[in-house]
Amino acid sequence: MESLILQHLLNWLVLGSIYTLVAIGFSLLFGLLNVIHFSHGDVSMIAPFAALGSLQVLFGLAGSSVGILPILAALAIAVLVTGLVGIGADRLVISRFRNSPAMMALVATVALGTVVRELIRGFYPQGSNPKSFPAIVQGFAEFGGLRLPALPVLIVVSTVAIVVLMYLLMQKSPIGMRIRAVAEDGATARLMGITPARIFAFTFFLASAVGALGALFFASYAGVVRFDFGVQLGLIGFSAAVIGGLGSMGGAILGALAIAGIETIVQANMADGASYRLVFAFALVILMLCIRPSGLLGKPVFEKV
Amino acid sequence: MSTTTLTHVQSRAALPAGLTVAATEIGGAALLGAFLLAEATPMVLALLALMGGLFAALQLRPLIEEEILRAFHEARGLATVLAVTIVLIYPFFLGGNTYALHLLIVSLLYSVLALALNFQLGSANIPNFATGATYGIGAYTSALLAIHLGWSFWATLPAAAIVATVFGFLLGIPSMRTRDSYLALVTIAFGIVIHQMLNNLSWTGGPNGLVGIPAPSLLGHSFMQPIELFGFRLPSQANFYYLSAALLGLAILSAKRLHESRVGLAWNAIRADELAAKCQGINVVWYKILAFGVDAFLAAFAGTIYAFYISYISPDNFTFLVSVTIMTMVIVGGMDNTLGVILGAFLLTMLPEKLRVFSDYRLLFVSVVVILFLILRPKGLFPQRQRHYGGQ
Repeated sequence: MESLILQHLLNWLVLGSIYTLVAIGFSLLFGLLNVIHFSHGDVSMIAPFAALGSLQVLFGLAGSSVGILPILAALAIAVLVTGLVGIGADRLVISRFRNSPAMMALVATVALGTVVRELIRGFYPQGSNPKSFPAIVQGFAEFGGLRLPALPVLIVVSTVAIVVLMYLLMQKSPIGMRIRAVAEDGATARLMGITPARIFAFTFFLASAVGALGALFFASYAGVVRFDFGVQLGLIGFSAAVIGGLGSMGGAILGALAIAGIETIVQANMADGASYRLVFAFALVILMLCIRPSGLLGKPVFEKV
Repeated sequence: MSTTTLTHVQSRAALPAGLTVAATEIGGAALLGAFLLAEATPMVLALLALMGGLFAALQLRPLIEEEILRAFHEARGLATVLAVTIVLIYPFFLGGNTYALHLLIVSLLYSVLALALNFQLGSANIPNFATGATYGIGAYTSALLAIHLGWSFWATLPAAAIVATVFGFLLGIPSMRTRDSYLALVTIAFGIVIHQMLNNLSWTGGPNGLVGIPAPSLLGHSFMQPIELFGFRLPSQANFYYLSAALLGLAILSAKRLHESRVGLAWNAIRADELAAKCQGINVVWYKILAFGVDAFLAAFAGTIYAFYISYISPDNFTFLVSVTIMTMVIVGGMDNTLGVILGAFLLTMLPEKLRVFSDYRLLFVSVVVILFLILRPKGLFPQRQRHYGGQ
């Protein structure tokens, strides 16, 4: 019984971590550009494929001496590639909608997401089939008599570390200050000698790289990855960011934990909970937005005349 | 537009209005027919190039569009009669090509859906990613009534519309407090909840959907039967073609009537500035919810016809991506412009079908086209027009 509760608890934390990593990207970009990067989930889902591809190449080069080094290298390559794709997505598509109505950018990024998915499906070797994805670590970790599977622990611990790093980066570092300055007032930031274009590129890289980690953890935890997993992950990440309050990092974390929580509860307590978890997760989204229209930690917008 | 340019246009008018109207309508119908019947890829591409050329001409010479619009305004009666005639005799020219007819029916139904969404997105600038869901509610309601209770098609039509409208109003309630991206998410979430419910509930058939929806019949003529008229024989799809054409006619009519009414004006005022509209005494909440209701009402009609036409529906016909496609049609066609929206629906329905040669890459191709379109012609094929107040 106790181990079952522990298992659900761990599952909740893992899902919450994965959703957090995706939601942070949405929140970061919305805070900066006021734009919803709807293809964020699909861009993040490039990472597992990049990791699989580079793993194959690395094993080809190094022989099949399975060490931790090629795995780490593959993960690093995947995160880097995804970050660069994020910058590319901005340069090619999203930057052209800076001054358009929000709906245009939204529809354009939805189409961009389809482009990303279809590129993986069409051009990755056998891209339309599900691919098995290896666990980043195997075995168990011991914590004072408590024996926990290593992978979930790794995911949760690294997410906490990433969130702390992101917080320090945004609040304490010069680049974070520049990002916040551009978000606050682009024109004034420019007068202070900040180049918004560079800030945009950096933010897109950051958001996509963090999302990439989320997608890698997701694939590793599920043990499988398919070209269209990004849609659902993106939708959930977006919902987490919105119910937390767009533009707020703490909100994104809260939202992610709330959605992961309801999913875990439904899965644990209902006979066919697995198939109904999305119904409850999105019903929660609707309910939350009815009660708190600008999210948990979002600032309510008052219109001035 | 100032009066001097107007008189300038009129003095330049070389063709009588009737001729311009006839040439435009017959030319448009011929182009559509050629596109429907074209099978060889070079032919499809050539026709697409021709359409691109026509739009380039309109883009470079805006006076052409003014001229055509003026002609339609002058010869309104002729334009309507001719358009109805063309729609009525159109299947005879397709030479019994059932695939072309099928494409036409689907395009007509999507035009209705796009027009339904246009009431919100175009007129009032309310994002709604749940048109696919209300379409699905309509389709499932009528299918369930027909299969389990033996209701006839004609009885399920209003029933489905009422059920979907109730859902539309329910969906509209959160719009009282949320807006923009937040409202967009509410509609997305609603769409996903509906899709997941259809996928999981046992009485909706789960992922397998509902099979064996009986064909409708009218005055003893079953819609499964081919139409025989004056020695001509039209395939059975023609029944549904006329039905969907009638529905589109109804949708166009209601779009026009609503646009010209106080309701349409209120929606446009909300689009322009919600706060200002409120200050003018417009009941913003009611008109927003009304927009959701109207959208659901029309979408349910389209869903019912679709269900009875295909006679098989499954949750995958009503996903989030379907809603996005409908939204793309409105934006590509031109928000708040009935003709533009219909054109957008036709183009985006037929393009993927006609690009089957690219088989695996057509979705990719269409998405790239949509992105290019949003960048190059952000206001759509036919941008929204200035409102006319009073008489002329």
